[in-house]
Amino acid sequence: MAAATRVVLDASVFGPLRHAPGRTVLAIAAIALGVALGFAIYLINRVAADEVSLAARSLFGLADLAIESNGGFDEALYPRVARIEGVEVASPVVQVEAKLIGQRGALTLLGMDAFRSRRLQPAFARFAETLSRDESDGSSSSKQAVYLSTSAAQGLGLSAGDTLRVQVGLRPEEFEVAGVLPPVALQDRAGVIDIATAQWKFDRLGRLSRINLRLAPGASPARVQQSIEKILPAGARVVAPGQAADEALRLSRAYRSNLTALALVALFTGGFFVYSTQSLAALRRRREFALLHALGITRREQLVLTLLGGAIVGVAGAVLGVALGIAIANLGLNVLGADLGAGFFRGITPSLQWHWLEAAVFCALGAGVAIVGTLQPALDAAQIPTAAALKSGDVASGQVRTRWPLVITLLVAAVAALLLPPVAGLPLPGYVSIALLIVGAVVAMPAILQRLLAAAPRGQSVPWEISISHLRGTARYATLSVSAIVVSFSLMVAMAIMVMSFRNSLDAWTQRILPADLYVRAGSVGQSSHLSETDVAALRSIPGVARLEVSRLTEVSLPENLGTAALVARDIDARQASRVLWIEKQTDKPTPPDAVPVWLSEAAADLLKLPVGAEFDMLIGERPVKASIRGVWRDYEHQRGAIVMERAAYVRLSGDRAINTVWMWLEPTASVEAVQQQVRDLLPQADYDLRTPRELRQLSLQAFDRTFAVTYALELIAILIGLFGISAGTSAQVLARRAEFGVLRHIGLTRAQIASTLAIEGAGLGGLGVVAGLVTGGLVSLILVYVVNRQSFHWSMDLFVPVGLLATLSLALIVSASLIAVFSGRQAMREDAVRVVKEDW
Amino acid sequence: MLALESLTKSFDGARARQVLRDISLQVPDGEYIAIMGESGAGKSTLLNLIAGLDRPDAGRVVLDGEDLTLLDDAACTRLRRVKMGFVFQAFHLLPHLSVERNVALPLALNGVVGRDAAVRIDEMLAAVGLSECRHDSPAKLSGGEMQRVAVARALIHKPSLVLADEPTGNLDADSATEVLELLRSQLKRDRATGILVTHSTIAAATADRVYRLSARGLRQE
Repeated sequence: MAAATRVVLDASVFGPLRHAPGRTVLAIAAIALGVALGFAIYLINRVAADEVSLAARSLFGLADLAIESNGGFDEALYPRVARIEGVEVASPVVQVEAKLIGQRGALTLLGMDAFRSRRLQPAFARFAETLSRDESDGSSSSKQAVYLSTSAAQGLGLSAGDTLRVQVGLRPEEFEVAGVLPPVALQDRAGVIDIATAQWKFDRLGRLSRINLRLAPGASPARVQQSIEKILPAGARVVAPGQAADEALRLSRAYRSNLTALALVALFTGGFFVYSTQSLAALRRRREFALLHALGITRREQLVLTLLGGAIVGVAGAVLGVALGIAIANLGLNVLGADLGAGFFRGITPSLQWHWLEAAVFCALGAGVAIVGTLQPALDAAQIPTAAALKSGDVASGQVRTRWPLVITLLVAAVAALLLPPVAGLPLPGYVSIALLIVGAVVAMPAILQRLLAAAPRGQSVPWEISISHLRGTARYATLSVSAIVVSFSLMVAMAIMVMSFRNSLDAWTQRILPADLYVRAGSVGQSSHLSETDVAALRSIPGVARLEVSRLTEVSLPENLGTAALVARDIDARQASRVLWIEKQTDKPTPPDAVPVWLSEAAADLLKLPVGAEFDMLIGERPVKASIRGVWRDYEHQRGAIVMERAAYVRLSGDRAINTVWMWLEPTASVEAVQQQVRDLLPQADYDLRTPRELRQLSLQAFDRTFAVTYALELIAILIGLFGISAGTSAQVLARRAEFGVLRHIGLTRAQIASTLAIEGAGLGGLGVVAGLVTGGLVSLILVYVVNRQSFHWSMDLFVPVGLLATLSLALIVSASLIAVFSGRQAMREDAVRVVKEDW
Repeated sequence: MLALESLTKSFDGARARQVLRDISLQVPDGEYIAIMGESGAGKSTLLNLIAGLDRPDAGRVVLDGEDLTLLDDAACTRLRRVKMGFVFQAFHLLPHLSVERNVALPLALNGVVGRDAAVRIDEMLAAVGLSECRHDSPAKLSGGEMQRVAVARALIHKPSLVLADEPTGNLDADSATEVLELLRSQLKRDRATGILVTHSTIAAATADRVYRLSARGLRQE
């Protein structure tokens, strides 16, 4: 029986796959590319997420709960918590983001109590004890000891005996690297110092950042949490270690999700390619299917056998794709990093690990996409009228049908999806709308194609006449070829418009928020580095400086467990906020006397879900503050949201007079270089950024391009799969038309004229695909710009159409389609004209 | 025994017309008949009705006591698989299968494999004179050779009914004679019933009886 099955499979499945090896290989490659990209992006995201979670979790050791506060809290809380019933161990922690000297970014330093931390983090308690001993012995008077995690040591290039240099305010501090902790002790990119040292060196005397808690066996976490919450100061909260990991991942979630969606687009395009090739095969093999039915293969068996052919292509592509995906993920992690260049996970250097189950899921996904792509062609093949097809195999190739009710339903559903809110913070309805729109465009293609072909001028030349007549007569083939281009090109157009809109908006925003001539920046949100008012006064006295404005970057706690947002306390005139901010909405209503005026970034406004003019409570440090929303501004810098308030109000409420950024306007006659030199002379030892607006603009655009580099690669692959579609479609038709070319050669057409015919057909199909792709892609770009981006990143942007780029791409695609058609037909043109005319199949 | 009882068939559409009207015929087992007629007389339509590839508007097609018009498509297909063989004008060999595999296909569909299958394939290829070409692809064969492969495929599983639709329409005179002789000898050897649809009087002359199909019905000549 197995042998019988083999013969039948050979006749219906393997034979056809072998008979057109080029198309089979292309179909497998299309699925493989889609699966490879999807799997690679998934693996990189998953590995990065695991690493970030593990790193965030490792800061808590074996703790069951932790008390933390953004601005820290008084250490007097510690003994009170330790005495609460059910708390077995309480370990105080001072955590600071120490600004590194000589390089960008900060290093997390954990100030630990050796004795208390021993039971919660036994893996590095031994090292912490050494720290404490050094401290009490006074054995290292100038340099305190620090133990670095393995990733921190590797990232900073430091080892035992080296010096770690950080900056507090503008004051340099040095630590001697006493050793490197094994990875099992601390996963995060961090260092461990003695808690007293941390309080002393980082101006945190009497303050704690966190208390890690281990509960007594049998104690109820909920009850202990309730007891703790009764004595917590404002701004402090009880968290489970898992929440910290979630918070660490939240920031990058939108970016990772969008990247995954983009990778799945390639798989979708691959699935469509399978649909296109299988449909072409079903049309080409009409007589074969009819013969097999006549010989005794039932329609149900034909359906199953055709689906099996699709499944074989899918499984082969998926297995290849998974292997390729692992290789791409490895390459991506090594070359671009865990965030693929986006800058979310600096310092995270995970190694790639994958599981069989994940690979199996992606294999199933690839095979599933191929089977779904084969379903309609298989149903078509199983319904071929046997007698008619045996008489004339190509009777149906010119028949096209446009399902207008379906097109209208799809388009209405696409618009309806746009009205839905994001799901779990992700723009899933937006993606559904895009998919419906593209499928609607594909379903509408037959009618569009027929109308355009009907309008094509006649009588230009013999090749032109033959081409147009052929396209009219084989509208189903033509529709399938055009649809493949529409799918891939529309996505490329949409991405090009979205990326250009984003880049130009970022550029315009950068120019608008950087009106000064020179910027000095020391530290960022939460970092230990900053300038003092004395430093700023010194800067103000530099000859050539006309005026200065300053800002402080810190954090504010939002109400209702919404987490934190960046707080930008700056010199700002409440009546002229649009002078320094890109205001999207504002109110003229007077600010209530008991509230401070604030301006929310779009992300913060989306988070709070409050209208302009509304009021809300927030915490600056431990101090409750009533804020009145005066306006919403466009911000591309702080993804988790930012709140701007007047610095004078901030200083009054917090007492914090530190400064992170200084805007410097120079006298018209002053030299920027001369002022820069004087700044360096004034602040010789300190580490800070001193830049012109032009440099900052360049830096931000470089970061943007780095972030989007991977999306360009994904787009190119999608268009490559689209070109596969043209190639497969054309080569299938050329094979079927060998006899026609033979006849044309008999009646006097030269090979060059046949090549012209093919070139005109390829260019025509490419041109139609490009026009339809431009229209569909333009609509998709509107969804990306105004819905998907807004919901993913909470950023508005203005629409910019890269006309030159799109024109170049369109031309390149039409030329490619034309060349591919000629290339695919070269074999037919080489064949003996007499033989092909006599040939039956 | 094949019995056609009052078969009627019309086609819809812009040029709607009745192709077959009240056609009745009985073909005893082992008889080889030819049906001739003008183009458009309905010869191929009649053949399709006999094969169960099309449905009559009225009447019955009974093969070995089984009414094909009462069977659904799957049952009809299974019956074709066991009891019928086909030879077409355009050969209709599967291009991606070798000569041997094309011939073996009906056996495989009927579950005949292994030594039994090998012996029958060897015999059949020897009978049609193509043992030497068994591993070749159909594209390498001449028209006459392709049609001999088609004859072998039609008879390999010993069907009770073989339907041949203009089997010599694409062949030169010598090849046509060769194929017709082969078809008749193999039908007689297997005692199979044969129905040959043709324009050619030379081809029709190889059959036991000849019928003419016209607007007036089916008449024996």
